[in-house]
Amino acid sequence: MASIARQSSLLRQTCLSAFRSPFAAKNGAGVSQVVAFHASSKKQILPPLPQSIQGTMNDPAPIPTPHPSEGSYHWTFERVISAGLVPLTIAPFAAGSLNPVMDAVLCSFIVLHSHIGFQAAIIDYFPGRRVPKTRTFCNWLLRGFTLTTAIGLYEFETNDVGVTEALKRVWKA
Amino acid sequence: MAALRSTSRFVASAKPLFRPSIFARSYATVDPAAQDPSPSETPRNKTFHIYRWNPDQPTEKPKMQSYSLDLNKTGPMMLDALIRIKNEIDPTLTFRRSCREGICGSCAMNIDGVNTLACLCRIPTETSKESRIYPLPHTYVVKDLVPDLTQFYKQYKSIKPYLQRDTKTEDGLEFRQSPEDRKKLDGLYECILCACCSTSCPSYWWNSEEYLGPAILLQSYRWLADSRDEKTAERKHALDNSMSVYRCHTILNCSRTCPKGLNPARAIAEIKKLMAAH
Repeated sequence: MASIARQSSLLRQTCLSAFRSPFAAKNGAGVSQVVAFHASSKKQILPPLPQSIQGTMNDPAPIPTPHPSEGSYHWTFERVISAGLVPLTIAPFAAGSLNPVMDAVLCSFIVLHSHIGFQAAIIDYFPGRRVPKTRTFCNWLLRGFTLTTAIGLYEFETNDVGVTEALKRVWKA
Repeated sequence: MAALRSTSRFVASAKPLFRPSIFARSYATVDPAAQDPSPSETPRNKTFHIYRWNPDQPTEKPKMQSYSLDLNKTGPMMLDALIRIKNEIDPTLTFRRSCREGICGSCAMNIDGVNTLACLCRIPTETSKESRIYPLPHTYVVKDLVPDLTQFYKQYKSIKPYLQRDTKTEDGLEFRQSPEDRKKLDGLYECILCACCSTSCPSYWWNSEEYLGPAILLQSYRWLADSRDEKTAERKHALDNSMSVYRCHTILNCSRTCPKGLNPARAIAEIKKLMAAH
């Protein structure tokens, strides 16, 4: 979010300088235009960090507040889901049975697995300390997408043939 | 540190007067007179491109400067080449070095795209290929090849890298451990904190403020695995958040780049297993 806002101000700035360029040319300078298009520092999305590290090497880095549900429990849960997906993906095709309960479990595991994966990407690339608003926005966007996917899959399972059967048909088509 | 170093240099320069010449400190540059004379040998010139940036001229952009050296007159390692450049061609070239045998971790830099210690990195002998030397990636540069490792050391301090115990042994002697327990520390205690692995980790590039990085996590595990340490639960609790450990996505750049041949990725995996078990 912040990044978009900043980019627009950048655009305005370059436009302005381009506008001003006739006068600049009249003055024999024409520098403002060149600077606006060539200063690499203005093209980056976010302003540069302070280029130095706060404190000395004798001050310990702050330890984040412990949060097992975001740490160890989260990791264990994620691994269980990932490992569980392997047999769940193979089982219906190997057994040839189309149990709707198995199908529902598979669907929910896929939704959870992709949600956790995208969430990790958001944590990595939108650091809360630098772009808190973008972070929150992305998180809610992801929740929206996950919910929509879950509802869609639920509809597909209850009113249509279900994921496994659909895949089978696509395979044979 | 600086004071110590300058003193030692003074001592080193003063002492050879009172020592037999064989103990005199020699530079990496090979004395041409001492070499066996082989005039038929053709010079093998190799070009080194080295990252230069001077904080005294902050408006000047960083640039690559090229130096050409005859490999016949240079020692086998990259550090020998750097020292020879500094001694004979350009005294303004700045880099850290100390032990020249891979035990101090001072000369960590990015050589031909790989983070390594200059003193452990052989100069590739094919002279047609040019070598490129950069400071450690994604660090603030102090000057030329000297990176700012303040954040790295701050994080090292934050994991309390020392033995923590409340109880004493029954006989009041030192804390002993069995050979099996000691064996658990092999592959961990050898880390020299050169920061090669941490600065090769993309996750550490993006989140170095909070993610501890492979080197510090290896040290964390070194204290978690120590049978004499009694604060294992506290140490694990301090790591139990989304940033400190779990930004590791097993990219394995750390194990690939480690100039000491250690395996930080395995240590991180062990930490994750310990944390999952508690």
